[in-house]
Amino acid sequence: MNAVDKLASMEDMISPGISACVGCNVELALRTCLKVLGPNTILAIPPGCMGGVGVVGWDMETGAKVPVFFPLLDNVASMLAGIKMHYEKVGRKVNVVAFAGDGASTDAGMQCLSGAAERGDKIIYICYDNEGYMNTGYQRSSATTKYSWTSTTPVSKEGRGGKKQNKKDFPMIMAMHDIPYVATCSPAFIPDMVAKVEKAMEASERGLAYLHIFNPCLTGWGIKPELSIEACRMSVETNFFPLYEVIDGKYIINKEFKNPKPVKEYIGYMKKFKHMNEDEIAEIQELVDSKWKRLKRLSTL
Amino acid sequence: MQKVEILNGNKAAAIGAAMSRPGVVAAYPITPQTPVVEYFSEFAANGEVDAAISEVESELTAMSVVTGASLAGSRTFTATASQGLALMYEPYFRASTLRLPIVMAIVNREMISPQSVWGGQQDSMSVRDAGWLQMYAEDNQEILDMIIQAFKIAEDKRVLLPINICYDGFYLSHMTERVLIPEQEKVDAFLGSYKPEHIILDPEKPMAVDPLTNGVLVMEYRNKHLKAQQNALTVLDEVDKEYGRLFGREYGGAVEEYRMEDAEYALVTTGSMSGAAKDAVDMQREKGIKAGLVRMRMIRPFPKDRVCKALSRVKSFGVVDRNVSFGWDTGIVYQEVKAALYDGDNKVPSVPIIGGLGGEDISVGMMMDSIDRVVKAAAEGKNSECIWLMNEEEAK
Repeated sequence: MNAVDKLASMEDMISPGISACVGCNVELALRTCLKVLGPNTILAIPPGCMGGVGVVGWDMETGAKVPVFFPLLDNVASMLAGIKMHYEKVGRKVNVVAFAGDGASTDAGMQCLSGAAERGDKIIYICYDNEGYMNTGYQRSSATTKYSWTSTTPVSKEGRGGKKQNKKDFPMIMAMHDIPYVATCSPAFIPDMVAKVEKAMEASERGLAYLHIFNPCLTGWGIKPELSIEACRMSVETNFFPLYEVIDGKYIINKEFKNPKPVKEYIGYMKKFKHMNEDEIAEIQELVDSKWKRLKRLSTL
Repeated sequence: MQKVEILNGNKAAAIGAAMSRPGVVAAYPITPQTPVVEYFSEFAANGEVDAAISEVESELTAMSVVTGASLAGSRTFTATASQGLALMYEPYFRASTLRLPIVMAIVNREMISPQSVWGGQQDSMSVRDAGWLQMYAEDNQEILDMIIQAFKIAEDKRVLLPINICYDGFYLSHMTERVLIPEQEKVDAFLGSYKPEHIILDPEKPMAVDPLTNGVLVMEYRNKHLKAQQNALTVLDEVDKEYGRLFGREYGGAVEEYRMEDAEYALVTTGSMSGAAKDAVDMQREKGIKAGLVRMRMIRPFPKDRVCKALSRVKSFGVVDRNVSFGWDTGIVYQEVKAALYDGDNKVPSVPIIGGLGGEDISVGMMMDSIDRVVKAAAEGKNSECIWLMNEEEAK
């Protein structure tokens, strides 16, 4: 069965009418992942956009059909580890899943995620990376791209500024934990995402499975809603965010482009890079190229 | 028949926890709590307990793992001290507001700075308003007995709150005493199993835990939480009596009174210092001073009525604190005892006393001096300035 038919046959585990921004590709990713994960799932939604739009709930109503809770920003993986330990102890197979932003994953919650990965806690950890603290109005995170405007890395009237440091390469950091499964996903490549969620479910019987979804944020980054998926696609087709997986230490590149588009085309989709000059764009291009080369080399090992 | 063993406080705590059969245990080592983790891991390695243990990377994760496991339905145990407790404050507070009956031993240790690894109750006393129940043990037998009782109190439907069993670092954690070990089958019958009905993360019973909640509901949550704290006083009394019937050790509930029947002067203490205080009471009585002791076994909820009653007939009293209340110029328990008495319209002179910080000994001599100060306050008819128990020789 192809992915479209498969998804059509699966129940949407997220309630209709959650209050995500128009065109939000995180909502699409969440619904897709949860369809594949199915009803036998316990879901953690920490502080962040998906908490803010009501997936855990609002007063007496909930946004999810599966058991869902609101972990702290910095203890997502640890709380899930405890839940999973209980179900392993009583001998019940349950998907124990995080759907967490980059702040909860690469910053405040990194220690506990690293700990859970090292211990082999059998959870599925999905990070939706929209490069910052979006639910509080876009402050920078360690996942923010260099030169990006954010509300805490402003751009001067002369057009100088933005974030000063490179984006933390978090999927690679997770891969270095030697966990059974790491993969990157994009809302522009849904069949690829579906397959990876299925692989993560299988791998989580052996240890922690980590999925890193790259979600350009329309509201925060200044992207037109109708270009939501295009911006996602461009991040992959420029090799800015390559789709790959690491299965038990083996690196596999899932999408390879004979003539990758220049990073400038991806950068052109959003307001947050509007101030960048040619030198700065060239610097990002250089970084993308060198990281791609490294990934290629890893994939031949 | 109960077995007799010679145990340090940490081993007594680990045995108490093991006998309570938790499903999930997670703890991060920190002096002076470390042996609790080691003993428990050893029991598990030898197949003596079947708990799942997580070798966590921090205290924040220790509390988070047991919170998750408790949400899923496990009985859980952890232990910490001092900086570890400070690090876990975020999930610590939340364990109580989620109404999870987690049991955590706190091996009381001084807070930094300056650096100190020795005893002091500043750690647990500083978090007394985080919604947990807090009890303080005097000796190793009480540590073991209270860890077991803690599960029964915490899991009672009228309570459903997490509980700390606190005991002094090194004075109890590393000192050995004779301890009676209750029979396992009797403990099993006493505790039963934990079956959560109020909160659960289970795909068979989908529930949303902690949606964004309006203030009216938050007020209701807090109101019920406060009532549950008060219920714990009743439940503690019942559990204390039942445990006494089964195992022959009854502790008097939230407060232990020692020679208070006809006492004119009282000391109020918490934890292991009470042993020295009891000796001092005996010695003062030999000198004709009608002294008595009130030992605070429970600090949260604060057993207001019991304290008022115990101190209702004295001419004056003093409270010895192994902690400080910044801004009050006294210890923490002193302020709380005074607040309780004010409620009861009892305004006899009192003496705030601070001692034993950073592991300093509180000697029988110091307790004798403390009682002298209490007698003096009655004669002068006014509250004393705060007394600091200093070892004059060492201070030089």
